[in-house]
Amino acid sequence: MSGKHIVSSFDRDLEAIQAKVMRMGGLAEVAMRDAVQALELGDLEMAETVRRNDAAIDALNEEIRASAAQLLALRAPTAIDLRVILSVMTISSSLERIGDYAKNIAKRVSAISGQQQINGSYGTLRRMTQFVISMLSDALDSYIQHNVELARDVSDRDREADQMYNTLFRSLLTHMMEDHRNIAAGMHLHFMAKNIERCGDHATAIAEQTIYMVTGEKPADDRPKADVTATTMEGNA
Amino acid sequence: MYDAPANKQSVDQSNQKITARNVQVFYGDKQALRDVSVDIEDRTVTAFIGPSGCGKSTFLRCLNRMNDTVAIARVEGDIRLDGEDIYHPMVDPVQLRAKVGMVFQKPNPFPKSIYDNVAYGPKIHGLTRSKSELDGIVEESLKRAALWNEVKDRLQESGTGLSGGQQQRLCIARAVATGPEVLLMDEPCSALDPIATAQVEELIDDLRQNYSVVIVTHSMQQAARVSQKTAFFHLGNLVEYGETGTIFTNPQDPRTESYITGRIG
Repeated sequence: MSGKHIVSSFDRDLEAIQAKVMRMGGLAEVAMRDAVQALELGDLEMAETVRRNDAAIDALNEEIRASAAQLLALRAPTAIDLRVILSVMTISSSLERIGDYAKNIAKRVSAISGQQQINGSYGTLRRMTQFVISMLSDALDSYIQHNVELARDVSDRDREADQMYNTLFRSLLTHMMEDHRNIAAGMHLHFMAKNIERCGDHATAIAEQTIYMVTGEKPADDRPKADVTATTMEGNA
Repeated sequence: MYDAPANKQSVDQSNQKITARNVQVFYGDKQALRDVSVDIEDRTVTAFIGPSGCGKSTFLRCLNRMNDTVAIARVEGDIRLDGEDIYHPMVDPVQLRAKVGMVFQKPNPFPKSIYDNVAYGPKIHGLTRSKSELDGIVEESLKRAALWNEVKDRLQESGTGLSGGQQQRLCIARAVATGPEVLLMDEPCSALDPIATAQVEELIDDLRQNYSVVIVTHSMQQAARVSQKTAFFHLGNLVEYGETGTIFTNPQDPRTESYITGRIG
């Protein structure tokens, strides 16, 4: 829907709230990237910055919710306008959660810093993070461009993020079984991996909101799920 | 656990009160309505929306042959009430209008008492045999129009002395008094303040228990609040007709979308 509203201040309000969502998305991407980079570099100061910066993401979430409530009350939006506002609220919540996951990863950086390294796990976490950040970035692009095809592509890619998490889960389990000195680091690394995998789920949720916003229909819940760790036991790991 | 979505309900064919097929209306040479086909359901509020001059009021006025009173108007097509052709030569338009009542934009009570305003229709249609029967109809009609409690102690006062909202409810009581099956309302709240509007909207929702209500409104929010079905008219065409919830969240036609979201179509 490219047509402008007759009341142009309505367009300005909608643009303002969407600009905030994009700003929030940018902050969430940076938080994820920096949290994992801080892990790799052992940079506690960088980790502390990620923790501190989460407040800005939370504040944007509050602002977006307040603006959305005001738009609903004052403009009584319908059709595409209504769906824009409903999706803005959901996407903002997803981004707020991604910010929290990044913050949690950053907290674990200091906990893990004195621990024995586990071979190759940092590199795997970095690749996984890059993969999920590209999902998130494409999800936000699909949203702002109203691009359903790109949104579907993001949704399909979540399976791969799940598989990366499964692989890391098994590898960490193996290392922990081999040498119990790996357990402390292994547990933290596992939570980090789980956080990144959850960020992928939120990127997918954002893509699905795009599909809803554009088409008015929620995508059918037949998305392939590849996270099998909920049923994985030591014996079959 | 599973609720059928709203748009799957009321597909029952027997629920159709009015069926219109290929209705065309001309004012002289000018075509005001093109090929409108629609089924209006019983015990349902149907809203007609669309920009000025789109044909929604013209179509509403076809449903009780009000266009007969316009000399240059010509109506083609087929409109049936409970399967009976309302344009059949044997149909008396006055009798038809007792069954298909109408409420107008500006409250237009007769300059008579509140009682006489409501009693007028039943009297001229010879619906009652005694004063007590007529009293009963007046009371019942005023109750149905949610006005009884406000006027029961002053039935002999003039109808024009009531507030605007009360006058409009009096007009609804007057329409209800002849025992109609369908109520047509042309912008019934546009001259009322928000509280009186809310009272009329509450009344419309009550009336749905017994009647098929068709309302023309310029207020999209009013259409959204009071109706179950919405029809969008544009340039004499019926563009889209469906469940109100669907029309306002996910309209299928870009012209509907532009109109309801206030965009330049």
